[in-house]
Amino acid sequence: MDAPMDTTMDTTTDTTRQLPAGPREHLSSPTTQAVLRVQHTMLTAAREYLCDRGFTELLPPIIGPVTDPGARGAKQVDVDYYGHRYKLMTSAILYKQASLTAFDKIFCIAPNVRLEPLETSNTDRHLAEFHQIDVEWAGASRSDAMGVAEGVVTHVVRRVVERRAAELDVLGRDADAFADLLSGKGFEQRTHADAVADLHGLGHPQSADAEIDWAGEAMLSAKASRPFFVTDYPKGSRGFYDRESDERPGFLRNFDLLAPEGYGELCSGSEREYRYGQIVARMRETGENPAKYGWYLKMVREGIPGSAGFGIGLERLTRYVAGLDSVWQASAYPKVPGVVAP
Amino acid sequence: MSLTAPGFPEDAVRERARIGTAAVFPDVTGYGTTLYGEAEQATGDALDAAALVPPVFVPERLEKLIDLAREPLYTDVDLVSDVGGFAAPLPLYLSAFGSTQVASTDLGVAASAQAGALGVPMVVGENVVPVSGYGRLGDAGGRSLLARITAYADAAPDGFGGVVVQQSTEDADAEVWNLVYSDPAARPLLESGRLGFELKVGQGAKPGLGGMTVVAPGEAARLADQFAVEPVFGAGGPLLRSASPGTFTEEILRQQIRLMRNNFPRARVWVKLPPGRDIAAAAQVAWAAGADSVTVDGAQGGSGWAPRGFLHGVGLPLAECLRRIGTPAGCLLVTGRIWEGLRAVKCLAAGARAVGLGRAALLAVETDPDAGLRRLVDALALEARMLVSALGKYRPAALSRDDLWFAGDEPVRELEPVR
Repeated sequence: MDAPMDTTMDTTTDTTRQLPAGPREHLSSPTTQAVLRVQHTMLTAAREYLCDRGFTELLPPIIGPVTDPGARGAKQVDVDYYGHRYKLMTSAILYKQASLTAFDKIFCIAPNVRLEPLETSNTDRHLAEFHQIDVEWAGASRSDAMGVAEGVVTHVVRRVVERRAAELDVLGRDADAFADLLSGKGFEQRTHADAVADLHGLGHPQSADAEIDWAGEAMLSAKASRPFFVTDYPKGSRGFYDRESDERPGFLRNFDLLAPEGYGELCSGSEREYRYGQIVARMRETGENPAKYGWYLKMVREGIPGSAGFGIGLERLTRYVAGLDSVWQASAYPKVPGVVAP
Repeated sequence: MSLTAPGFPEDAVRERARIGTAAVFPDVTGYGTTLYGEAEQATGDALDAAALVPPVFVPERLEKLIDLAREPLYTDVDLVSDVGGFAAPLPLYLSAFGSTQVASTDLGVAASAQAGALGVPMVVGENVVPVSGYGRLGDAGGRSLLARITAYADAAPDGFGGVVVQQSTEDADAEVWNLVYSDPAARPLLESGRLGFELKVGQGAKPGLGGMTVVAPGEAARLADQFAVEPVFGAGGPLLRSASPGTFTEEILRQQIRLMRNNFPRARVWVKLPPGRDIAAAAQVAWAAGADSVTVDGAQGGSGWAPRGFLHGVGLPLAECLRRIGTPAGCLLVTGRIWEGLRAVKCLAAGARAVGLGRAALLAVETDPDAGLRRLVDALALEARMLVSALGKYRPAALSRDDLWFAGDEPVRELEPVR
């Protein structure tokens, strides 16, 4: 019998073997301390960039009756909320769209919990608990959102290079790695179809109908010297809220931002679907039962603004900026999928 | 409580579960003293009325003869098959038993252990999880699902079989697939390529309706916000709980399949269709979207609770489903009143890659929880070998529509003169 495709796994390292013995060892390590200082500067820089451009920071909910179903293969966590089945947030997307009825430009540093499949435990890129720099902008186009994402990443990297040279030194991260990023040339972009063709050219069997698998992302990422966008993912690969193109049915007005040097995906974003009928139909296409999205659909039916936005994985961005082997090193209390830890 | 299956050849199935291959033949104690020849009354549909028609000239037997350097026997038929992406010792799988009470007992676990030992792929029904509590693996429903997966995996021989977990529209609330895909208990199956997920679009017993169960009045309040719950059996009695059939268009089906492939890249993707009049188009969409298998549940199928009218007069019979699909563009699996080799081989000749046991498996397991299913399958395998060999073929995939004759089939072409 054929073996299952295992191109989805990067098995070059076994993360669990490298995990620290306990929180004391982890927190007292000079490496961890340098990483957390770099991360602190990154958060400050992201807030600075977004606040300067008129975005209002909101604190996102942690539990709710429903959450983002779009996470690939990950299990949601139930909370017994006075006898009602609530969820820990897997992303803030539904609340980001709803929040645009308060302000046109919002962002949050959102905690997310996704019980990822066990096969992600050695990708060096997955945490069951992580944070996103989540941005949403009413009336914005995809290119507007991509511009902000590029701006945030560039500003964050610049601030770290300016202010955390000592920490980068401790981490062995050469600031020259960011020369191309900081050169002002801008991030390149290519479509998902082109990325698939590139991967086929590299001998990697990537499905044209699916998200680019982790090994494929790492291959594309390894060939780049500054971050780049992949746009126009096929519909079956993403949640119902990524807007389908009117001009190219079956393709989404969305994007991922991938880091160079093999670090892979940093960010996903899109123009959002905001039209009630289309959202319900898309929910069905993603296998969802609209009945459980009651509060959200009521808001959509009464009208929410069209928008575009994105979420940058904070720990993944930290991994790239600090040049870490594994994403768990970017968390004070890492939760690697399947690994029991405080 | 003992199961009954009105309208189904229950006694014959139970006999096979007890005595296995001996039941393929008339009572052997009458051998030498009884004149046989009277056909038993067929139970009725077009597939039962059709006949397998062995030819006189058998070129594939000649190939086999050359291969073996002796005349082939029925024991030379190799039944090993690819069933929806899983290796199986014969073209057979266990279809889902559904959520009704009959399938929610220890029978499910016993059936899993027997199916696992046989290396026959098995579908675990929708609703095993969400009907109970929050649908976490630690809940009653989750334990039931987990127990079945574990019983199967513990018994399965290396390289054979697979467990396919079904999810329907209302199960999406319980995220059954996400639960299973990330659960350590399912990891051995996942890593050996023996885990699959089946999208349940509909079912044979009641095409156009969602899942139905009968629940005690006390359960009604908990279920009322998710299902229709109606007192159709009179005040104070149990209640009918009905789920939505789910809304499907071509695009919804296509995208749901793509999302399954995207989200669960290491699982096989199966799609179960009801016997709808557009069955051929639906199967085509599913295969084109990348489904590893399409299961068609003929209108005769299903072990679940359904209104009488739906059992009698709603949905295409299995033979008509097969006719409309024609030559399948992918792996086609069928269920519906399958319990012995003749109907099974007819289905294979009509285009199916494998057949599913539903009610028959339940009855066999109930008759003997340790070996009933194995004996039933042994008998079916023996018959299948004899029938395939009689058709001059030595593997199930070689069967074709020519091997099957329906009354009213087109007249035989005028023959070329023999020289």
